[in-house]
Amino acid sequence: MDFSTLPVAWANYLSIVGFLILAALVWLIPKKVIFTEAPDASRWRDMRLWASVLIIMQLMLYTLFD
Amino acid sequence: MHPLDFAIVAGYLVLITFVGVRLSGRVKNAKDFFLAGKSLAWWVIGLSIIGTNIGANSYVGAAGNAFNIGIAQANFEWIGAIPAMIIAALVFIPLYWKAGVYSIPEYLGLRYNPAVRVTAAVITSVVTVFAIGVALWAIALTLQTYLGWPIWVGIIVTGTVVGAYSIAGGLAAVAFTDTLQVCIMFIGGLVIVGLGISETGGFMSFAETLTRDNPNHLQAYLPADHDSFPWPGVLLGLGLVLSPAYWCAGQAILQRTLGAKTQWDASAGMMFAAFGKMFIPLLVVFPGLLALVMKAEIDYPDMALPWVIKNVLPPGISGLMFIAIIAALQSTIDSGVNSVSLMITRDIRHVVLKNPNPDNDLKIGRYLTLILLLLAMCTAPLVSQMGGIFTFIQTILSLFQGPMLALLLLGAFTRRATPTAGLWTLISGVVVSALMLFSGMNMLYVAFCSFIYGMVVLWVLSGFTAAHPNPDLSKLTYSPWRRS
Repeated sequence: MDFSTLPVAWANYLSIVGFLILAALVWLIPKKVIFTEAPDASRWRDMRLWASVLIIMQLMLYTLFD
Repeated sequence: MHPLDFAIVAGYLVLITFVGVRLSGRVKNAKDFFLAGKSLAWWVIGLSIIGTNIGANSYVGAAGNAFNIGIAQANFEWIGAIPAMIIAALVFIPLYWKAGVYSIPEYLGLRYNPAVRVTAAVITSVVTVFAIGVALWAIALTLQTYLGWPIWVGIIVTGTVVGAYSIAGGLAAVAFTDTLQVCIMFIGGLVIVGLGISETGGFMSFAETLTRDNPNHLQAYLPADHDSFPWPGVLLGLGLVLSPAYWCAGQAILQRTLGAKTQWDASAGMMFAAFGKMFIPLLVVFPGLLALVMKAEIDYPDMALPWVIKNVLPPGISGLMFIAIIAALQSTIDSGVNSVSLMITRDIRHVVLKNPNPDNDLKIGRYLTLILLLLAMCTAPLVSQMGGIFTFIQTILSLFQGPMLALLLLGAFTRRATPTAGLWTLISGVVVSALMLFSGMNMLYVAFCSFIYGMVVLWVLSGFTAAHPNPDLSKLTYSPWRRS
C-alpha cells in the first residue's frame, strides 16, 4: 500500500478522531477500578477526569498546529 | 567556566550525592532497593517518570530534530505519549498491581512461561544498556561542548556520580533525585524560553521569523513522503505501537509505579506525568527552533541545545541549564541501571538458577548496577558512529517493541494466547523486525508491521499449541467488568 500520496491534513483529522474515541473508552472504565486503594473517593481523585482534561488539551494542540 | 556556573554545578553534585547517601540508610532488602519499599507517592512517581523519559532520546536529540523538522518533533511528546500514558494509567498499571509483580518480564512470565520472561528480560536489558550508553555519550558531548572536557573524561565522571547514588540508595534514591532533576529541568527550560524569546525581539518576532524562513516548521505532521517522519508512519508506528509498548511495557518507566504506596498512587503518578509531558516540547523542541531562528552555525543538529546554552544564557543561568541537561541524562542512566539490575537479578537469575537465595538479591543487585554502568561506559563511544542520538534509540526500539506489544495485548485482553505461541512470536518477531530494518524500511513502518506480524502469528499459533496450565487467568487478564 502506498501511503506517500496521502494529504497531510488527514493526519490531524485522524488524530482528533482517535482522541475522541479514547475519551469515550476512558469513561467505560468502572469507578471501582479507578478508586482502588485510593485514600478517599473525592471527585478530584477520579482519573477519568484527569484523562479528559489531557485529551481536551491535545485536541486543542492538534487543531492549532494543522 | 564562570565561577557562578561552577558553584551551581558543584552545589548540584553535592546535593545529589547527599540525597543518595541519606536514602541508602533505608535500603534493608531487595524490595527496598528495587521497589523503594513500596513507599512512593504519586507526585514523586510522576516527576520520576518524566525524568526517566527525558533523556538522551528526548533532550539533546529532540532539540536537534526540532532544528531539522520543527514542531512535528513534539509528536513524540504528544500523540506519541499522552494516549499511551492514559491507557497505561487506567488499564496496565492496575493489571500489574493485581498480578503482584516486580517487573514487566515477570508479568509476561506468569502470563506465558518462564522462557518468555527470560527472553523479554534479556532483550529489554540489552536495549537498555545501549540506551544508557547513548545517554552517557550525550552527556559527554555536552560536557565537551560546554567545558571542553575530552569525551572519555565526561563518561567516567558521569558514571561515577550516578553509580554512587544508584548503588547506595536504589529506586528510592533514583526516584527522589529524578524529582529534583525534573524541577531543575523545568526551571532551566522555562528560563531558556523567556530569554530566547526576548533575545529574538519578542514572541511575535520569533514566530514571524520562524514561519517566514521555515514555513513548514509549525506543522504538527510532515508530508506522507517525508524520509524520516512521514505522518502515516508517525500515527501507525509511533502512535499505535512504539508509544504503547514504551509506556505500557517499559520496565524503566513502570518500575517506579510498582514501587508506589498504593495502586491509586501508581496510576495517578502516570497520569500526572502525562500532564508534565504536555509541556515538555517547551523544554526540548523550543531550543531547536530558537537555534534555527537565531541562525546558529552548528556542525550537526544535536549541537543545537548546547549552542543555545552557550550563546543565549548568561552566567549562572547557563550553569543551571547545563545541570538540567546533565540531570535529564543522568535520570535516564540511573533508572536504566536500576531496572536492568532488577531484571537480571530476578527475571533471569531466578529462572536460570532453579533455587536462588532471595536474601542475596540486594547484594547481587548492587554489584550488577556497578557492572552495568561500566559496560555502558564502554559502549558509549560506539554511539558516535551511529548517527543522530534520537534516531538511534528509536531504531533499536523498533526492533522488538512490535512483537512485545502483541504479547502484552493478547495476553492481557484474551485467554487465547498460549505460552509456546508467546515465546516463538517474540523470538521470530525480533528476527522479522531486523530483516525489515536491514531491507531499508522506515523504522516507524517496521514497528507497525512487526506488531501486526506478532498479533497474527500469536493468534494463529495459539490455536495449535497447549493452553496455559492454569485455567484461571483472572489475575493476569484485564477484566474490570467481571463481578468479583
